[in-house]
Amino acid sequence: MCPSHSTVRGILGELMAEADRVTVTDMDAGLEHLSRGTVKHVDILLIVVEPYYRSLETAFRTHNLARELGIERDLVVANKVRTPRDEEAIREFCQRNHLNIIAAIPYDEQLIEAERLGKSPLDHDACDKGIAEILRLAQVLQTDTPPPHVRTGT
Amino acid sequence: MKIAVSGKGGSGKTTIAGTLARAFGRMGQRVLAIDADSNPNLATLLGMSREEAAGIVPLPRDLLQEETDASGNRILKLAMNPDAIAEAYGVKVPDNVTLLVGGKVDHAGSG
Repeated sequence: MCPSHSTVRGILGELMAEADRVTVTDMDAGLEHLSRGTVKHVDILLIVVEPYYRSLETAFRTHNLARELGIERDLVVANKVRTPRDEEAIREFCQRNHLNIIAAIPYDEQLIEAERLGKSPLDHDACDKGIAEILRLAQVLQTDTPPPHVRTGT
Repeated sequence: MKIAVSGKGGSGKTTIAGTLARAFGRMGQRVLAIDADSNPNLATLLGMSREEAAGIVPLPRDLLQEETDASGNRILKLAMNPDAIAEAYGVKVPDNVTLLVGGKVDHAGSG
């Protein structure tokens, strides 16, 4: 691995570890570049999947890699879910492969439009379905995650 | 709470990461959003314009320094504390979120 590349990862990993506030990190598309040190302080890894098989396979690989890297908790976020069948297929795959799913965000043309325009969906009025589910996910995560340092460690 | 968001390109992971960051901010948290993608575009999904985003200075490499710990192991430590780093290099975006960008990597591999 190129030194500058690993240096950046190292800085970001240390920042995540030491920052005394909530951190949300947008990771590289593949986790392959990560080292144990970079991600060991991650409380929750969210794995975003789309309802098609290759995406689910990637999620499964990421899940295994996360375990190897020592991440204790990883959760699947299904995205761009168009039909109940989509959601069912993802849930079934997750169940079969021991992945935990925490949210299913409906396909929302306006979310994709915001992305295309390079805007936050929160500043793009028309996004409602998709945003509602992401906001719900934030609530669940906040309620669900024990603050650092007071973990009961089971 | 330390959350990392992964997913293939085009999966919507950056949209989800950016929206979660601002949602936590709206819930009253101080939030650090970290763009660790080698093709960074979290800034616009947090509400910055493309022009503003293009002006972001990525974190300098020398923020990480090698030290020797008490048992003689070489360890890497941040040269400044995270709050100072956020103050010096962070970009303020809406909802009490500060963004830090790792920087573009020219050879992003096959990810």
